[in-house]
Amino acid sequence: MTRLAIIGVGSPSGDDQAGWWVAQALERGGLSARLSCQTRIVALDRPGATLVRHLCDADAAVLIDAVHSGQAPGVIHRVDDPASIEKDTRVSSHGFGVASALALASAIGALPATLVLYGIEIGAASADAAPSAAVSTAVAALAARIEAEAVARWPREASSSVILSGRITPA
Amino acid sequence: MDETQTRKVNIHVPVLARVEGEGALHLRIRGDVIETLMLQIYEPPRLFEKFLEGRSFEEVPDMVARICGICPVAYQISAVNALESLFGIDPGPWVHAMRRVLYCGEWIQSHCLHIHLLAAPDYLGYESAIAMAHDHPAIVRRGLALQGLGNDLMTLLGARSVHPVGIKVGGFHHAPRADDVAAMLARLRAALSESEALVRWTASIPMPDDEQTFTCVALRDAGEYPIHRGRITASDGLAIDAAQYDRHFTEYQVEHSTALYSQYRDQPYLVGPLARLNTSADRLPDVVQQLMHDTGVRWPSRSMFHSMVARAVEVHYALSEAAHLLENYMEVPAPAVAVTPRAGIGYGCSEAPRGLLWHRYQVDAEGLIVDARIVPPTSQNQARIEEDLRLSLQDFGLRHSDEELRLHCEKVIRNYDPCISCATHFLKLHAERL
Repeated sequence: MTRLAIIGVGSPSGDDQAGWWVAQALERGGLSARLSCQTRIVALDRPGATLVRHLCDADAAVLIDAVHSGQAPGVIHRVDDPASIEKDTRVSSHGFGVASALALASAIGALPATLVLYGIEIGAASADAAPSAAVSTAVAALAARIEAEAVARWPREASSSVILSGRITPA
Repeated sequence: MDETQTRKVNIHVPVLARVEGEGALHLRIRGDVIETLMLQIYEPPRLFEKFLEGRSFEEVPDMVARICGICPVAYQISAVNALESLFGIDPGPWVHAMRRVLYCGEWIQSHCLHIHLLAAPDYLGYESAIAMAHDHPAIVRRGLALQGLGNDLMTLLGARSVHPVGIKVGGFHHAPRADDVAAMLARLRAALSESEALVRWTASIPMPDDEQTFTCVALRDAGEYPIHRGRITASDGLAIDAAQYDRHFTEYQVEHSTALYSQYRDQPYLVGPLARLNTSADRLPDVVQQLMHDTGVRWPSRSMFHSMVARAVEVHYALSEAAHLLENYMEVPAPAVAVTPRAGIGYGCSEAPRGLLWHRYQVDAEGLIVDARIVPPTSQNQARIEEDLRLSLQDFGLRHSDEELRLHCEKVIRNYDPCISCATHFLKLHAERL
């Protein structure tokens, strides 16, 4: 059975939690129960190399992270070959993060066969900031999009029975 | 004119990027003489000790865990050791054993991170761990798997591996379930062959021959290898309680660093894995001692370049120790004892992955923190790093190219696994030649 990992990456600083919020929305929405694959939904706090472990255990993975690319907050980016991201392009809002972890995972042959990165454009992220309206809207839209894509690809069948649901507290 | 009399090298690293702390290295060489060598840690003071003032003793373990994302357990254990000592509490053998298991998890993840992602690429000729991983995927996979096991061991007792929340003054908030412990025990046992192979692999990597004389400072315990408790000892015979630390160790400020330096008997000293192995190898199980000696390293070692092997030995030991302590695990209904605060000063220490971590707390009758003082291992090692750089560079030879000197400096600094080593390559070179 396909093992799907949906991984929200973030930090506790304002809109930098966007990846966590998407993961939490999918968890709350009961996505796992509507898929035929083994689904693990996790929220990771600036995981660094630890992200590699989560990728090692998956056949398919969806990563969600906050990004800075200069576009307006709330814009959703999709990268179908995220391992090709240059490490020093600073796409991620974290110093070391997704790009370096993916490069390391690629080097040791641990990338899932299917790997998609979604980025939500954010503005400044300060520790005590409330979610911005633009990012909140994007979070809901992206959660719906990921759910639709996953259900289309792994529709639940009557015989499927093993469903794994990960915790969504940032690890 | 002799070239050595005219060559002047300035290696100045203004910003160390992607590091836990913020620092720099300034090196000025004239001919065959090092004129200036300063490890500059200029990170603004983080003021954690001030944050603690006025807070309840109950908040301390969770607050000090935030000091470091890699070794939060060390901060928690040193804190509860100090406070429980002051309050006259012994949380009992179950709590001691589980704290030791939790600490083993931290050692495993921290050491494996350092060995595979920070140190090893230097010696195998790669610019980064990612580059190394292309040629040595199995090695890196093994390292990441062991690191992950350490993280999971921390999660078992601390609920999460980054800034865990399991520890409280008096014990733990929660006891893990027996079936979760059984599953972890099986993983620990299965990983022992991997960690043994890790020791042999690190020992097989050629290292510079760079023996130096230095004093080792580490905890030592009557019956076990020092991790979560013990008396402070030095390789010259010193053996003191945590409360006596100030009588023998001096913290002082230097202009070029915002981190305090430390001296023992007016000299730099070493804390960390090599110091621990050099002073307490006899506390390791026979099989681990045998493995140490199979490496071909002469222990105790006077070469800081054996630090990577020392870390690997401690990874192997921590796995076996955690497995040993979890073998006969029993769930307990109350994983903590009652705590009644009292006014006074408490002292505590433990062995963080990077070495001795000392805490002192003054508490009032209500259990509020009046004053706190924390002496971390990287601060203690600063003077030793500078001394080592001077000696090691002279031994290496100052006529090497600037790039070779920079790489050698990086290797020397990384032997100590300071927090600033989190950047894989952090020395940007600016050289001036006359």
